[in-house]
Amino acid sequence: MPFASIDDLQSALLAADYLPDRGLGTALFLALRLQKPLLLEGEAGVGKTEAAKALARAQGARLIRLQCYEGLDVAHAVYEWNYSRQLLHIRAAQEGSVAEEELFGPEFLIRRPLLEAIESTDPVVLLIDEIDRADDEFEAFLLEVLSDFQITIPEIGTIRAKRRPSVILTSNRTRELHDALKRRCLFHWIGHPSLEREIEIVRLRVPGVPERLAAQAARFVQGLRSLDLAKPPGVAETLDWAQALAALGHEELSAEVVEETLGSVLKYHEDLLSVRDETLVGLLEEARSAR
Amino acid sequence: MPGSAIVRHVVTFGRVLREAGLEVGPQRIQDALSGLDEVELERRDDVYWTLRQTLVARAEDLETFDAAFAAWFERAPGRRAARRPRPETVRPVASLAAGGDGESSPPSGEQPARGWSAEELLRKKDFAAMSPDEFEHVRKLIARAGDCRPQRRSRRLRPHRRGRDLDLRRLVRASLATGGDAVERSFRRRTDVPRKVVLLCDISGSMEAYARALLLFLHAVVGSGRGVEAFVFGTRLTRLTPELTTRDPEQALAAAARRVLDWTGGTRIGSSLKAFNDEWGRRALTRGAVVVVASDGWEREGGASIATEMARLSRAAFAVVWVNPLKGHPEYQPLAGGMRAALPYVDRFLPGHNLASLDALAQVLSGIERRHAA
Repeated sequence: MPFASIDDLQSALLAADYLPDRGLGTALFLALRLQKPLLLEGEAGVGKTEAAKALARAQGARLIRLQCYEGLDVAHAVYEWNYSRQLLHIRAAQEGSVAEEELFGPEFLIRRPLLEAIESTDPVVLLIDEIDRADDEFEAFLLEVLSDFQITIPEIGTIRAKRRPSVILTSNRTRELHDALKRRCLFHWIGHPSLEREIEIVRLRVPGVPERLAAQAARFVQGLRSLDLAKPPGVAETLDWAQALAALGHEELSAEVVEETLGSVLKYHEDLLSVRDETLVGLLEEARSAR
Repeated sequence: MPGSAIVRHVVTFGRVLREAGLEVGPQRIQDALSGLDEVELERRDDVYWTLRQTLVARAEDLETFDAAFAAWFERAPGRRAARRPRPETVRPVASLAAGGDGESSPPSGEQPARGWSAEELLRKKDFAAMSPDEFEHVRKLIARAGDCRPQRRSRRLRPHRRGRDLDLRRLVRASLATGGDAVERSFRRRTDVPRKVVLLCDISGSMEAYARALLLFLHAVVGSGRGVEAFVFGTRLTRLTPELTTRDPEQALAAAARRVLDWTGGTRIGSSLKAFNDEWGRRALTRGAVVVVASDGWEREGGASIATEMARLSRAAFAVVWVNPLKGHPEYQPLAGGMRAALPYVDRFLPGHNLASLDALAQVLSGIERRHAA
């Protein structure tokens, strides 16, 4: 179902439990309208992957996810032949030889995410997650797929997309991507949300969280981000924390509560050590002043 | 398609961005125009986001874009798009090191004695004591030394005669002829690929002659393929990788020196390492890499922050090599606070003050294993 305007898309995303700001809303809208892949970058935990999932839910589309890793190759990303079935088939034929075309036909093909997305006749959101982890060879291959939306299998021929999937790529910027790949994508940088938005996100995603607690947790995490930490917490951490606090039945933050649960916000030992005593008291005071 | 006034506006804006250093091709302009066609032009933020998402491809360029957008579409007075500093052709101050700290190296101007090749003498000569002519001569030799690369095992499988994994695809094809019997078996195995190398080079005054040599060395390593990153620091840290791939390394060094050096400030090793860990370590550039730190370890701020940051660095890195030209002097002891604080986190501690020791560095880099004792 196409969205008529950015507002339309944003309310559909909200209904799918995702709260994008205007910038991300525009990016997703343009990606759909211009039928171009969208590259999302940003710090860990700002909701890059979540955006793709929400887009799929909002459209009622199927989400096909390709998690990238080093050494990812065509056999795991696109297709692979079902070798054991092929061998059995040759055996079963016993006398008389097996035609090659028969052996390399669609029924012996194992479809991996990219091929599945290209072949699908239903609407699909293709999430290519953490593309920066894949290596150069794969990036070059992906370039081909994303520019023509077709895949060539030597034994079968070229398979063209019957319906272009919406493509979202995410990157944590562990390395710079090829210019050629970027040229084919729209680009959006997701930053940390504003305080008001973060409170809204917590209340949306953690049902039953006391309003006061949501505001205090969000403000506390915003305070943490302004410190000099090895790994500043993202929205994902705020949500984890709020969930933990709500599950423990807390109504508001206190020094003991924070000490007990801070491990779900700060994942590095040094960071935990640096947020002690006065720092913690200061942040807590700030957070508790939230109305 | 939007009206011609808008087309002209966007095309001109594209030119403004190009001038500010962004790469804005015709495809991007086309995307921007199609994008504007889809959104409401009265909403300033929609126009802003549309242009930003279609015209910018790198996070580093966002700030420049914002400044340009403000200047162009809002005519904000006094806010012009920041131009990227372009490296100028200034050679590093080659004479600087000769004044200060080359005392214990052989006196310069000495003619090569008979029986020794000039090259052999140059191999042992301290970089800081070389004349410009001599340095010119060793340039090529340095480049040759840098043609090495630490390897790591890839997860990717390639056909290999003595591999351990069956190449099923080939096997099935071969079995066609024999009715399903795998007579000939082919194998695949993991191959070696270049490991990431990260150089952090101190280019403060005392390091200057060595920094030149090290960067030439690194220029050659960059030539061996992708995955090499170079940073230089004095009072600040700056990334030199793009310059190293395209430009003359000496020019790149000179331009960088003006950016990161504050001659009265002294070297800030701890805060430079911190800047690296914060910005690049967090993006996992360090993970699995061989990190080479080149510095004499003279730190104005005391050793505590160096220890903290070296600990962070060494936890993520595959191995840490510290190159300290002072170590080339026979009586050198790592007593300076900064150096002593760093040593517990260093896997290999090398001099790198002359060509022979750069060769040794190359050997260490190509055969390095995790957690050597320093």
